[in-house]
Amino acid sequence: MFSLFYGLWKYLFSKMELHVLILGIDKAGKTTLLEKMKSVYSNIEGIPPDRIIPTVGLNIGRIEVTNSKLVFWDLGGQPGLRSIWEKYYEEAHAVIFVIDAASPSRFEDAKSALEKVLRHEDLQGAPLLILANKQDLPEAVSAEELARYLDLKKLDERVYMFEAVSAYDGIGIRESAEWLVEVMERSKRTEMLRARAGAMGPGP
Amino acid sequence: MGLVFTKLFSSIFGNKEARILVLGLDNAGKTTILYRLQMGEVVSTIPTIGFNVETVQYNNIKFQVWDLGGQTSIRPYWRCYFPNTQAIIYVVDSSDVDRLVIAKEEFHAILEEEELKGAVVLLFANKQDLPGALDDAAVTEALELHKIKNRQWAIFKTSAIKGEGLFEGLDWLSNTLKSGGG
Repeated sequence: MFSLFYGLWKYLFSKMELHVLILGIDKAGKTTLLEKMKSVYSNIEGIPPDRIIPTVGLNIGRIEVTNSKLVFWDLGGQPGLRSIWEKYYEEAHAVIFVIDAASPSRFEDAKSALEKVLRHEDLQGAPLLILANKQDLPEAVSAEELARYLDLKKLDERVYMFEAVSAYDGIGIRESAEWLVEVMERSKRTEMLRARAGAMGPGP
Repeated sequence: MGLVFTKLFSSIFGNKEARILVLGLDNAGKTTILYRLQMGEVVSTIPTIGFNVETVQYNNIKFQVWDLGGQTSIRPYWRCYFPNTQAIIYVVDSSDVDRLVIAKEEFHAILEEEELKGAVVLLFANKQDLPGALDDAAVTEALELHKIKNRQWAIFKTSAIKGEGLFEGLDWLSNTLKSGGG
């Protein structure tokens, strides 16, 4: 009996789109990450890194990871554009926060932007994946070092992980996506968003 | 600019017929932008039903321009121009603060159109050369762009008169269309 329900739950879950917000300050590599995700998980060829320009709006990527449909929302990270981030929080199942691990001079800016994200009540319970990006560069710090530097408080109740990646050459990309799917499947927030979507009928 | 344009858009659609709509309120600068791009002759037609559509044919891509707002009786006829639309370029007069609310309403109304659901959206916050023009972040807010969650969009500060920002925007557009955006 349990397995029947579990199967049904799995089935429902597979039908539902999971929204993952990609945030981070400018030049962190958010769009490069999105394009890498697309090229790893779908047969669409991503935009090559050298053709990517700063995002001033919204990029969207749809991929399928272990039977789950993910929709990425990649938002611009320049200071003037960050005010738009919170408009997407309510519908997000999880957040990826991308940090350029090779630019220590910008860690402070990244830290305060991330802290602001974490404080927002519309993101309560959303799993958080913090990426120490640009591991292809020799000067990049490790995920542990970055975690130590950020020294984030208020992470206790949240499911989170630090991961060292290179959106440029693909290090850590699959691990990241698979972790996200796994934690979203089990997250209370997913349950809550699903119940809300069900109550409001099929969305637009 | 003409050459750059050739390079950007020659290979995107192959031989498929494609359409890019350039829309906005009157006096936003749409026609000036078309002329700036120097892609070809701008042909102005007034269909019998009474709205003015400008068309530039560039290889297999049709750029079509008309003014939003105004008479509601002709709106159903806009739909003749919707099929096969890959992108909408929405042009806003960033200095016309009084009419931004109307620009917003018209914008979101057009996005509701079933046949335009797959189109990506490029916004030009135009007339940046004029004093009092709002910047890209302010126009983003005024047009409530965050309500768009199912398609890609980007906004660029432009001055069609000076030819600034147009190339950056089209570069984004061609990249996005190439990677199967939307």
